[in-house]
Amino acid sequence: MSSTSETNTKSQNNENLLIDIGSTYFKVSTPDSIEQHFRDFNKLILDDLMHKCGNTIERFDAKDIRICSSANGGLSALIIGLTQSYSLKYATNIAYNSGINIIDSIVFQNIEDYSIPSDLIDVVIVVGAIDSHGNVFDNRLSDYIAKLNYSNVVYVGNAKDASILESSVNRLVVLPNIIDNRLHIVEAPLKEYLTNLYQQDIEGKEDIKHLYDITGNQIFSTPFVVNKALPLLQTSFSITDPFILLDIGGATTDVHYSKDLVTDNIVTEHGHDRIVFKKLGVFKSRQSLIFTAEKNEYAYELLMHLKVTEKIYEEQSERATKILMQLAIFLVLCEMSHYRNSNVTLKLLSMNSIVFTGGITKVLKKEDIQTVVTFFYRKLLNSDHKPATVIDINYDIWTLGARQHATCQ
Amino acid sequence: MKVVTGVIGNDIHVVANRLMDLSLNARGYEVFNLGVNTYLEEFFDAAVETGAEILLISSLNGEAEGWGREVKLLKAKYKSLDNLTMMIGGNLTVGSGNAEDIVPRFKNYGFDLVCHQVDLNTGLDMLEEYMRENKHS
Ligand code: B12
Repeated sequence: MSSTSETNTKSQNNENLLIDIGSTYFKVSTPDSIEQHFRDFNKLILDDLMHKCGNTIERFDAKDIRICSSANGGLSALIIGLTQSYSLKYATNIAYNSGINIIDSIVFQNIEDYSIPSDLIDVVIVVGAIDSHGNVFDNRLSDYIAKLNYSNVVYVGNAKDASILESSVNRLVVLPNIIDNRLHIVEAPLKEYLTNLYQQDIEGKEDIKHLYDITGNQIFSTPFVVNKALPLLQTSFSITDPFILLDIGGATTDVHYSKDLVTDNIVTEHGHDRIVFKKLGVFKSRQSLIFTAEKNEYAYELLMHLKVTEKIYEEQSERATKILMQLAIFLVLCEMSHYRNSNVTLKLLSMNSIVFTGGITKVLKKEDIQTVVTFFYRKLLNSDHKPATVIDINYDIWTLGARQHATCQ
Repeated sequence: MKVVTGVIGNDIHVVANRLMDLSLNARGYEVFNLGVNTYLEEFFDAAVETGAEILLISSLNGEAEGWGREVKLLKAKYKSLDNLTMMIGGNLTVGSGNAEDIVPRFKNYGFDLVCHQVDLNTGLDMLEEYMRENKHS
């Protein structure tokens, strides 16, 4: 999959070359062309990139090359908190906005019921209770953490329990409580900590490290860069607030949404938040996408509506990819509606625009998307509401964010 | 003493809630006001996070009945709420209803104090008396 329009111009001084490394494909954008290639997993990222886009890359100075990456999948976090509505929700929100993926969240009172994840966890986050409340954690917490395979552990809960945990949990970093005395969220300290971890992780990953051979700039996480574009979208696209931006990729689906769409107990300053559905992607996470679809009581009807049967799940064809992408849209909307009580429930009836970016824009046409969106509103929300569909065909949003980010630095 | 309060369900009647906040503060409580449109689980979760002794729920639009039935079941899932005093007030049924039927029904749902169409200050006096009699802190 590549849409190249090579130009013959030589070195383009002061112009940036933007590169985005994803889990499935990478994109290379010059001021006047954009290329996209599937990654070859038998090669190092740098070799693959040079093999496919070497000519373009060589035209630019290292200082003008800006790379972002979601290829390391981001950091994985396990969150242990007291309740779904407050500590876990707040920590989840901060983690997502820092580009972190959450592998599980644990309600402390039932900690014995959770299995021990076998994978290495990049960061364990422990949170719970306001500062005037304490004694909420006991040695079940340190016992559980001792069994985990983790790189970092950070405590952002009530002040009273901090010292006792510090003595019982290995390498515990203690930061200010993310829940203030009015039960509101305090984002900054944890966000800064996680963003730094992410940054260190990118720099440390062997495969990504090699990319510093071609760039003189820091490599950032892709969601971070996309987030930069959001406040500017309305000036460049015909998008009316409030909107959501769906980035349906190979491994995950990222949703960025206007804060106006949440009736939430979370009050923050910035206008857009991010949530990640880690297991909804059409290539790497294909199986879990299908699994989620099979559990969804409306998915069968949607398939009928799209004139296919469940046999499509076994098919490996362009048509199957297309249907899976349509399903992904539907499932993500379900996840964010009252139908599923997930972390974030959006006021989807107030949403004016729905913007699509990522690999999906190369596969689905506007009508393919609209039919799913309309089906969703009718079936689940019982409404004829039709948010405007905007398709970011040429990855303009990412380019906008990356250029914006480049000029801010 | 810490109190969690708010209006339950998809209920947007906010006036009583504001007055409740003011009155509770004036009576010396530490108030965590979750505002309108609050789900039962959020009330319980807030009690866990704050360590509140009292949960004071308002329901004005008539949907209390639906939520009431879920109280016991949901509360049983929490391991640290056994000592929570639970109070509900407002318009606890659709239409006028009568307190003789409504009060025992909501007590059965798990509320310690039930105030159907009772004035706020009368209700808060009842709460104070109840706390004096039942809780020795
Ligand atoms: C203003 C109002 C509205 C406004 C609300 C604006 C706002 N954001 O607050 C609007 C127009 C939006 C509205 C909408 C609706 N409303 Co209206 N609304 C009223 C009205 C006229 C006044 C409410 C008010 O603010 N009173 C002043 C406050 C201070 O008093 P209060 O709410 O009664 O509370 C007192 C006590 O109950 C007590 N109290 C409250 N909570 C608690 C808790 C405890 C523990 C204690 C001890 C005491 C206590 O303290 C207060 C002071 O003493 C009442 C009718 C009335 N006259 O009461 C109807 C009324 C509450 N609404 C009603 C209804 C049905 C609706 C709607 C469903 C109408 C509709 N079909 O769309 C919607 C519901 C929307 C929703 N999702 O909740 C009904 C409820 C009927 C029922 N329970 O059987 C009422 C009673 C009107 C009626 N007679 O039919 N409403």
